[in-house]
Amino acid sequence: MPGFYSAGFESIYRCFTGSSEVSQSEIHAPVPRRHHLLQTESQKWMYTPSISPGSSRPVSPTMAHDRLSRHPQLSFSALLEQPAGQKRVVDEQCGWARKWVRWMHRSGMRGWVIPVSMVGAAWIKWLVSLGGYSGFNTPPMFGDYEAQRHWLEITIHLPLRQWYTYDLPYWGLDYPPLTAYHSWLCGKIGSWIEPSWFALDVSRGYESEDSKTFMRATVLLSDILVYFPAVFLFVKRFLRHRSGRTQHVALLSLLLQPAVILIDSGHFQYNSVMLGFALLALDSLVVSSDLTAAVFFVLSLAFKQMALYYAPAIGSYLLGKCLFLGPHHGRSLFFRLAATTILTVLLLFLPWLSPAAIRNPLSRIFPFNRGLFEDKVANFWCASDVVVKWRRWLGAPGLVRLSTIFTAAGFAPMVWGLLYGAWSAAERTRGDNKKQDKKRVQISCPTLVVIPYALLTSSLSFFLFSFQVHEKSVLLPLMPATLLISGAESGGVGEDWEWGILFNNVAVFSMWPLLKKDGLGLQYVAVTLLWNRAIGYSPLNVKSGAVIRVLSLSSYGAILALHIAETVVTPPARYPDLFPVLNVLISAAVFGCTWLWSIKRGAEIGWALAGPPRPRDREPKASSVGRRSVHKMSVEENT
Amino acid sequence: MNPKGIDTLASLTTDVSHSGKVSPEKIDAESPQPFHFKERHGSSSAFLGSTEREILILSTIIKVLLFPAYRSTDFEVHRNWLAITHSLPLSKWYYDTTSEWTLDYPPFFAYFEYVLSIPASLIDPKIVDLKNLRYDAWSVIAYQRTTVIITELVLGAALLRFIRGAVDPSSQRIISISLFLHPGFLIVDHIHFQYNGFMFGILLWSILAARNGNKPLCGLLFAILLNFKHIYMYIAPAYFIYLLRTYCMTPNGRPNLPNFLSLANAVVVVFIFSLGPFVLLGQLNQLLSRLFPFKRGLNHAYWAPNAWALTTALDRVLLRYVTISGADIAVNITAVSSTSRGQIGDTVFAVLPNIKPVHTFAITLSFQIVFLLKLWFVPTYKSFLTALTLCGYASFMFGWHVHEKAVLLILVPLSLLAADSHALYRTYLIVTVAGVYGLFPLLFTHAETFIKIAYSLIWGFMCLGPLNRSTYEFPSTFPSVVLDRLEKIYIAGFGVLQITVWLIDASGKASLAFLPLLVTSVYCSLGLSWGFVRLSYLYFRKT
Repeated sequence: MPGFYSAGFESIYRCFTGSSEVSQSEIHAPVPRRHHLLQTESQKWMYTPSISPGSSRPVSPTMAHDRLSRHPQLSFSALLEQPAGQKRVVDEQCGWARKWVRWMHRSGMRGWVIPVSMVGAAWIKWLVSLGGYSGFNTPPMFGDYEAQRHWLEITIHLPLRQWYTYDLPYWGLDYPPLTAYHSWLCGKIGSWIEPSWFALDVSRGYESEDSKTFMRATVLLSDILVYFPAVFLFVKRFLRHRSGRTQHVALLSLLLQPAVILIDSGHFQYNSVMLGFALLALDSLVVSSDLTAAVFFVLSLAFKQMALYYAPAIGSYLLGKCLFLGPHHGRSLFFRLAATTILTVLLLFLPWLSPAAIRNPLSRIFPFNRGLFEDKVANFWCASDVVVKWRRWLGAPGLVRLSTIFTAAGFAPMVWGLLYGAWSAAERTRGDNKKQDKKRVQISCPTLVVIPYALLTSSLSFFLFSFQVHEKSVLLPLMPATLLISGAESGGVGEDWEWGILFNNVAVFSMWPLLKKDGLGLQYVAVTLLWNRAIGYSPLNVKSGAVIRVLSLSSYGAILALHIAETVVTPPARYPDLFPVLNVLISAAVFGCTWLWSIKRGAEIGWALAGPPRPRDREPKASSVGRRSVHKMSVEENT
Repeated sequence: MNPKGIDTLASLTTDVSHSGKVSPEKIDAESPQPFHFKERHGSSSAFLGSTEREILILSTIIKVLLFPAYRSTDFEVHRNWLAITHSLPLSKWYYDTTSEWTLDYPPFFAYFEYVLSIPASLIDPKIVDLKNLRYDAWSVIAYQRTTVIITELVLGAALLRFIRGAVDPSSQRIISISLFLHPGFLIVDHIHFQYNGFMFGILLWSILAARNGNKPLCGLLFAILLNFKHIYMYIAPAYFIYLLRTYCMTPNGRPNLPNFLSLANAVVVVFIFSLGPFVLLGQLNQLLSRLFPFKRGLNHAYWAPNAWALTTALDRVLLRYVTISGADIAVNITAVSSTSRGQIGDTVFAVLPNIKPVHTFAITLSFQIVFLLKLWFVPTYKSFLTALTLCGYASFMFGWHVHEKAVLLILVPLSLLAADSHALYRTYLIVTVAGVYGLFPLLFTHAETFIKIAYSLIWGFMCLGPLNRSTYEFPSTFPSVVLDRLEKIYIAGFGVLQITVWLIDASGKASLAFLPLLVTSVYCSLGLSWGFVRLSYLYFRKT
């Protein structure tokens, strides 16, 4: 862990290159240096990973020997930790998650924190799933629950070729093949328990206590099998520089994220599978298993095409990695990535591989024949629709083009940042010996630090500007935002914590009309409150930053006013959609600000990464023996 | 100044006043424990510490999320009582038979329902409509569930007070939290639907008064409680002896008449408020016949895990043995044909002699007398608490037509003893695990299976683990090692039991429908019987 033994620019320098590039002179005659914790100046510049002052974790030599430390690099979470010397969050203000984790650690139950958190989170999700679901008892079309149930029904009864063509007006399958395979598996199990739940055609609109329990159980189990491990690995890999307590709190805050619980366990969908695969891809990027990451990301895409929102960020990162590796290794990685991706896609689409057949799934998955937006979505188009009637102006084809241009423009800064960052890092650290180039293959690209911000920017620009967006798609930008919260602290650097939570809460609010229709009002309040209490957030207590403070207070004030008005006032007959439209306006404003903020943060960090010049006078000549002795010495320095 | 310290001192001095001496273990308990809820009472709230506030909010959120969960007929029973008390005059409360769920709780509970019915009628008049049977709109569900949560705050307040004056606040804090979040209450009150939290709150308040040396309050609160729900008669003997010995008599055995009269007056006033109106109306007999229906059978639908469950199971096994081996034993033919498969009604034994209400009454009373004799000679607070638990325990084990829910009557007071010694903790552990598992069959719907199991497991880890560590003693003798192992195997057996129950369930044979219940009941009653033996032994050996 480079941050532990050095400070300032050198730490950045070494982050990029691994611990190999230490000059001989330093090994033989180490310059006496203050402990890095005392070097606040360096931390102000880079906020290098430090031992958190409140941590119970001892600095021990064993830390240097964990598997990951062989690939030294900066983690984005390192940027979020508070600089030493700044006042820590007062005990009174921290949420129950931290209190509970602290108590568990003190009571000698440290090892139980993760299992208990996971069972507890699953339990809360199950409690929410006792409530209503989309389209309960509303024939003839019902809702998302019936759509999913219907797919279980058609996939187990029809041959593969008919999956995307069978009776399309009644909830025809419109998700990619992995969803279809997943439906098939769940349907097989379900019809083994009770065949009448999924009898072809006859079972349409089937609703019973037991079939509901089964369907809910499939959601929870898929969640536990994909999303839970992904979150666990995230905490273990991305936050490995942080104390055990922070990791545990992060795990809880990710698992209890209200929006995912409300949509998946309440409204009824399987988004956590898509999010879980995407997160697994991120987890693989940290340990530099880029091919695994590509496979996971394709799986995510093949579960729900909405994962495309992440594609610019992940794609640019991987491309950046190729640039970073230099012409030889980079090209090799590029081709391997391309081959893996194509192979995975081909495998998943295997049954539809004739030119005639492939059209069916594709036209279902990318429905450009539908409208710009359905219902009310808190994005740019729907919000500005109040003033500018886009659809009348441009017509469908023009809108498709315009929305594509807007979206691309929305994530372009992020793509440029990731590519330029990787290229300049490669420029600065490019050595003349091949051994060192090879070394780089094993570490991740320095731009990894920016990736949560990049994901946020890219998915938010899709959400705000792209064609055919659902209100539930806000879950995609929410995931990176929650990842940022999980590593950050109240009043911390860059206000990540405050922005992430504001975005989360407003996103839950933006789904209020939907949840209200599903009869999940109680769960909406309960789960949001639960999560905010868990992380210890209070809107009145936002300390840092004038912009975020004003934005939080005004948006929470507006939300509260809207909820009160909704119970007291009945909307005038001329504007039956008054409240949903107001909801869209409030939410879209906050989402827009979050999008701008994510670009700003990405740029800040990108600048910090690319900023320092390369120290030309220190050409790397370290031998493997020298490396080892440096390693040992720095461990001693730490203890 | 630290207010806790003063309270601790005060409780020590009150201890001195009624036990005569401070036992050394109490002083030991003052020494720092290996674990703490590090509590920094900040400026935020003097009334609730931040941990307590968080727990209150968290538990309320959980209970609110349970609103749409399964609810038993008890929900309709209580709705009907709201309707009866709201739409009928007092004189007709105990006569109404519009619904099959007639009012069969004592008058205070009827008054309580009357109070609850006033806001109910404002929220939705259909709730209190007598003819509107099985009303299950969202309004009535939310309203009734909310009243359970709000009235349960009585329990929370009592438990909070327990911490403030405890000898060992850190253990008491865990015990208090564990009681407030007890899976028993979650299952019986917040899912199945009853108001136990509220009534156990009164009971704990009364016990707290006993701990703090306020005997008249202790008696008064218990008299009030008795008029809320008469099931607490099971533990009334312990109250009677304890108050008689420590309050109505001087320590050297002379009657203390003024004290006796003041206590008697208080109790009589409570009963006048409760039964008075019905006595004046000449309805006392009708009321009593509602409260004590003796027409029910020995066992409830699902056999409560007590001694009779074991006896009934033994009878079934013997019957099977007789029919297979053809042994020459007189068999009751009616029992063979009508082996009551868990139906409400008389349980008739085929081989063993039949049990009549008077038998159960005699057995229960003789056990209670033994415990009360001990209490008479050692009338300390701890002794009272143990005797009270044991009285409830004896009634549960040997009573007539005991409900599985009555196990709370053991679990709640026993929890207060859990941190006293490792032996008591072990007893508490076995009784709690068996008792809580014995409540599982109350919720038979599939959706609630995960809820009850996962919650109980988490609760067990959080609450029992720390108590175990704080009291742990290494088993020192060979028999105790063997016992320790056997008990561990028994606890682990619940995992096997649950899997067995699932497997029988999954086989889907109608003839086996009662088997999971039978197996559960027998296995739990083994643990509860052992717990009874253990606790009785500890009571007579200790102090």
